[in-house]
Amino acid sequence: MNREFSIGKGNSMDTRIEFLRNHFIVEKKHHANRKPPLDKYAAARGYGLEGFSDMRRATERLGHMLANETPIVLPEERITITRTLVTIPELHTEEEWAVIRAAHHIHEAGKICNICPDYASVIDRGFAGKRMEIAAAQKQFASSGNQAAMEYLDCTLTVLDQLESFSARYGAEAKRVGNTQLTEVFAWIPQNRPRTFQEALQFFRLLHFGLWCSGNYHNTIGRFDQFMFPYLQADLDNGTLAPETALELVEEFFLSFNKDSDLYPGMQQGDNGQSLVLGGLNPDGTDSFNLLSDLCLKACMALRLIDPKINLRVHGKTPQAMYEQATHLTKLGLGFPQYTNDDVAIPALLLWGYEPEDAYNYVMAACWEVIIPGCAMDVPNISALSFPESLVAVMAELPLTTSFDALMDRMRDAIHAQTNRITSVLGNLYLEPSPLISLMMDTCISRGSDVSNGCRYNNYGIHGTGLSTAVDSLAAIRQYVFEEKRFTGRELLNLLEGNFDGNQDLVRELRENGPKFGNDEESVDSIASSLLGWFADSLQNRKNDRGGIFRAGTGSAMYYLWHAKSIGATPDGRYAGDPLAANYSPSLTGHCRGPVSILKSFAKPPLVRVANGGPLTMELHDSVFRTEESIGKVARFVRSYFELGGLQMQINAVNRDTLLEAKKHPEQHRELIVRVWGWSGHFVELDEEYQDHILKRMEWAI
Amino acid sequence: MATFTGTVFDIRQFSVFDGDGIRTTVFLKGCPLQCQWCHNPEGLAFTPSVLVNRKACTRCGACEAVCPSPDNCIQCGLCLKACQLGLRRMCGELWESNRLAELLLKDRDYLTLVQGGVTFSGGEPLAQAPFLLDVLSKLDGMNVAIETSGFSEPDIFQKVADKLDFLLMDVKLMDPGKHRHFTGRDNRLILENLRYLKSGRIPYIIRIPLIPGVTDTTENLTAAAKFLEDATGLIRVELLPYHYTAGAKYEMTGMTYSPEFDILQKPNADVSIFTNRGIPCMAM
Repeated sequence: MNREFSIGKGNSMDTRIEFLRNHFIVEKKHHANRKPPLDKYAAARGYGLEGFSDMRRATERLGHMLANETPIVLPEERITITRTLVTIPELHTEEEWAVIRAAHHIHEAGKICNICPDYASVIDRGFAGKRMEIAAAQKQFASSGNQAAMEYLDCTLTVLDQLESFSARYGAEAKRVGNTQLTEVFAWIPQNRPRTFQEALQFFRLLHFGLWCSGNYHNTIGRFDQFMFPYLQADLDNGTLAPETALELVEEFFLSFNKDSDLYPGMQQGDNGQSLVLGGLNPDGTDSFNLLSDLCLKACMALRLIDPKINLRVHGKTPQAMYEQATHLTKLGLGFPQYTNDDVAIPALLLWGYEPEDAYNYVMAACWEVIIPGCAMDVPNISALSFPESLVAVMAELPLTTSFDALMDRMRDAIHAQTNRITSVLGNLYLEPSPLISLMMDTCISRGSDVSNGCRYNNYGIHGTGLSTAVDSLAAIRQYVFEEKRFTGRELLNLLEGNFDGNQDLVRELRENGPKFGNDEESVDSIASSLLGWFADSLQNRKNDRGGIFRAGTGSAMYYLWHAKSIGATPDGRYAGDPLAANYSPSLTGHCRGPVSILKSFAKPPLVRVANGGPLTMELHDSVFRTEESIGKVARFVRSYFELGGLQMQINAVNRDTLLEAKKHPEQHRELIVRVWGWSGHFVELDEEYQDHILKRMEWAI
Repeated sequence: MATFTGTVFDIRQFSVFDGDGIRTTVFLKGCPLQCQWCHNPEGLAFTPSVLVNRKACTRCGACEAVCPSPDNCIQCGLCLKACQLGLRRMCGELWESNRLAELLLKDRDYLTLVQGGVTFSGGEPLAQAPFLLDVLSKLDGMNVAIETSGFSEPDIFQKVADKLDFLLMDVKLMDPGKHRHFTGRDNRLILENLRYLKSGRIPYIIRIPLIPGVTDTTENLTAAAKFLEDATGLIRVELLPYHYTAGAKYEMTGMTYSPEFDILQKPNADVSIFTNRGIPCMAM
C-alpha cells in the first residue's frame, strides 16, 4: 500500500450509490425497460440463406444486438450501460447445430466461456490503437492471399465500428438526460485511451457488456486491481479524484455486474463466472496488493452483492492484516472471498509448461480454475473424473481381491482407465468464434485467427469429484474387510447392493467410527495422496488435439450431484444416490474430528500436481465471527492452511437456522446469499436439490 | 507409567472464545455446582449419560423394549443401538490420561503455530484434578488453560493453576447467600481461590455470566469490581449476557429447566462499572 486513506471500513454507502443500488438491485426498476423475448433462431435462418461463415455470423449477431439495444442513462449514473434485450440470437439453426454437434466435441453451449480476456490490451490503446494494429496485419495478409485471415480481420474492424456507434448512441442519450459527465466520457472513449479512472471503468463496462451480447458467458474479470491501478493512481496523483470518490466509482462499477446478471446463462442463478482477482505475488517476490485492491474489498463490504466474486491471491508473505480484512468480508456471508495460494499455484503452472510471466499473472476462471489472462484458450472444466466411479469398478472384484495393496493397484488402473475414456471423447472441439474476445487475446490479430481456433495455451482441465467418498470407502474396506475381517468382500457387496437395508447399526458405525479423510490420520490421508497422484499420472504426457496438455484438479462443479446419482451405496456408510461433497472437502456422510484435523489432512496430498482448481470448502458457524479477536483467529486459521501447503480455500459463515427459515418463508429472505460450488447465489432462487446440499453441509459446521 | 482415567464429554477443535489463539477445548464431565442457568446440563453429572433427541422421537418403543433397567439408567448403551432413527447418544467417555495427552499432542505444532493451545473446561475441570494434573504434566510445550468455576479446595486449585499459562474463571455472585441459592454452593472457596490469582503472576480472565435480575445487578457487579480493583495478572473481565437458548439442552438430558429469573429479560451489560475502576472489561 503506497497511500493511506481514512475512509473507514467501507460499511457505509454514499447516497448516490444507495440510490443506484436501490434502483437496480432492490427494486429492479430497469427490468421495466426490457423488451419481450424473441425467437432465438430467427437470425440464424437468415445467416444460412446468406451463406455466412461462422465468423461473419458472430459479427452480425453482435452488431444486431448492439443496434437493437436502447440506451438508457440515469442522470445519477457515472458508469452506465444496461441490457434491454433479453434474447441473444443463436448463430445456427437447430438443424445446422445438429450437424456440427455430430462432428465435434461440444463443451457446454459451444460458446467461448470461462476464459479471461486481456481487457487492458484494448483499454490502454483505445480503439484507434487497435485499428492501427489490425491495419498492419491486413497489409501483411493481403499480400499472402489468406482469405480466412482477411475475413477475420475485417470482422474485428466491424466489431470496433459496432461498439463505437453503440457508444455514440449512449453518449447522445447521456446528453439528452443532461448527464454531462457521461456525455464527455463517451465523446472520448472507446476511440481513445481513457483520460481518467472513470473513463477506464466505463470502457471496461462497454467491453464486458459486449462479451455478454456476443453470447459468451462466464466472462471473468481478471486482475482488475492490477490493470486498472495506473488510471486510479494518475487521477489521485494529479488531484482530480478524491479517495472517497474513487471508492464510490468502484462501488458503482461493482453494481454494474449485478444489473443484468439474471440474464446471464449458468447452471443456476448466480453461476455467472464474474470472478475478480486481487493481489498476488510478483516475480521479484513482492506482493501486488495495492490501494485499488483495498478499495475493492471495501466496496464489497458496503454493497453486499454476489457479484463480482472476489478471489484473493495469497502467499507466504501475505500479511495477517489482509487475511483479517478478507475475513470481515467472509463474515457478511456472501460466499467469498476465495483464496488461492501462489506458492502452490505458480509452481504448478510452471510444471505444466506455462511461461513464468504468465504463471505469475494467473487468475481464476468462473469458479476456481487457475487460468492465464489474455493468452490462454484453455478449457479448464472440460470434463470430470469421478473417483467413486473407479471405486465401484474395483469393488466389483472385491471377492477376488486378496489384499488391500492389490485393491489399490486395481484402483490405480481404474483411474487410468477412466481418464483414458473421458479424454478420448474430447477431440475436434467446436467453439463459436468471438471476434470481440479475440481483440483482447494475444497474437489473434497478428496470426489473423480467431481465438476459437486456439491461442498460446490450449490446455484442458479435468475435475476430480467425490475424492473423500472414495478415500473413506477404501479405508473402510481396508479396516473392516482386510484387517478386522468383520465381513468378507462378498458380504460387503451384498450389503451395498441392498443399500444397507436392515443394517442401520452398521451404517451408523461406519459413519461415526469409520476412517475419514479429514481426521488427520496418516494411513487414511495417504490414500488421498495416492488417488490424486494417480489422477495426475494418468494425465501426464497426454496431449489434446489442439496441442495442449491435460491438467488434473480437485474441483467438482455440479458433478457432485450429477455423479452421485449413479453411485450406489458405498462402504463409508453412504446410501445410494446420496450427494458427494462439493469440491475438495470432507464427505458429507461422516463427521470429522474438527476443523483443525480437516485442515491438516487436506494439506497433505501433492496439490501442486492437481492444481487445476477446487478449494477446500468449510462452513463455520457465524458466531465465530462475533468479535474482532475471533475474526483474527479465523483469519489465522485460513492463513495456516496455506502455510501447511494448501492450494485453495473458501470459508463460509453460516447459520443453518436462518436457511431453514428461508426455505420456509422465501419471500422474507430474498437477499440471503450462499456459496454453492464456485459461486454464490441467492438461496431462495436455487433449486431445492442445491438448497438441501447446502443444508447438509452445514450440519457439520462448528 | 502411571495413568489416570477421566470422563470427557466433548473435545472441540477450533475454540476461539476460550483464551489465546485457536484452541482445542476438552470438556470434563461433572460439576459440583448446580447453577440455575447452566447451559451445559449434560456436563453436570460425573458419569456418562444418555442424551435423547426427544423432538424427533416417534415413540416406537424400540428403546424401551431392550432396556434392562427402566427405573435407573445404568448406561449400558443398549437403547442407543435400538433406536432406528439414531436419536440417542452417550454423553461422556472414559479416557486414559495417556491417550488424551497423545491425541492433544498430535496438534501441538499446529496449535503453537496459531498461538493457541488447549483449554480444559467442563463441567468443572478441577473436579477431576488428579486426571487433569496428569494430562497437564504430559502436554509439554503446549499452551494450557482451564475454564473453571473456581470451586475447589485451594491446595488443588493452586497446584493446577501453577501448571497453567492462564485461566478463565467465573465469578457469579459476590453475596454468599445468593450464591448458595442460585448455584447450590457457597462462594467462600471461589473467592479464596480468586484471592490467590489476584496476588499471583498467572494471567487470567474473569467471566461474569449476566443473569437477568440475579448477577447483572449494579450491586453484584460493583461488589465484583471492588473485589478485583487491586488485582494483578487480570487480563480483563468479560461479561457474558444470558441468552434464553441456554435451556435448549435440558430436554435431551431428561432434566427440567426451571430458572427463577425472567429468561427473556435483556441483561444489563454495564462495562463502565469495571472500566471506571480501571479494570479492562468487555461485554461478549
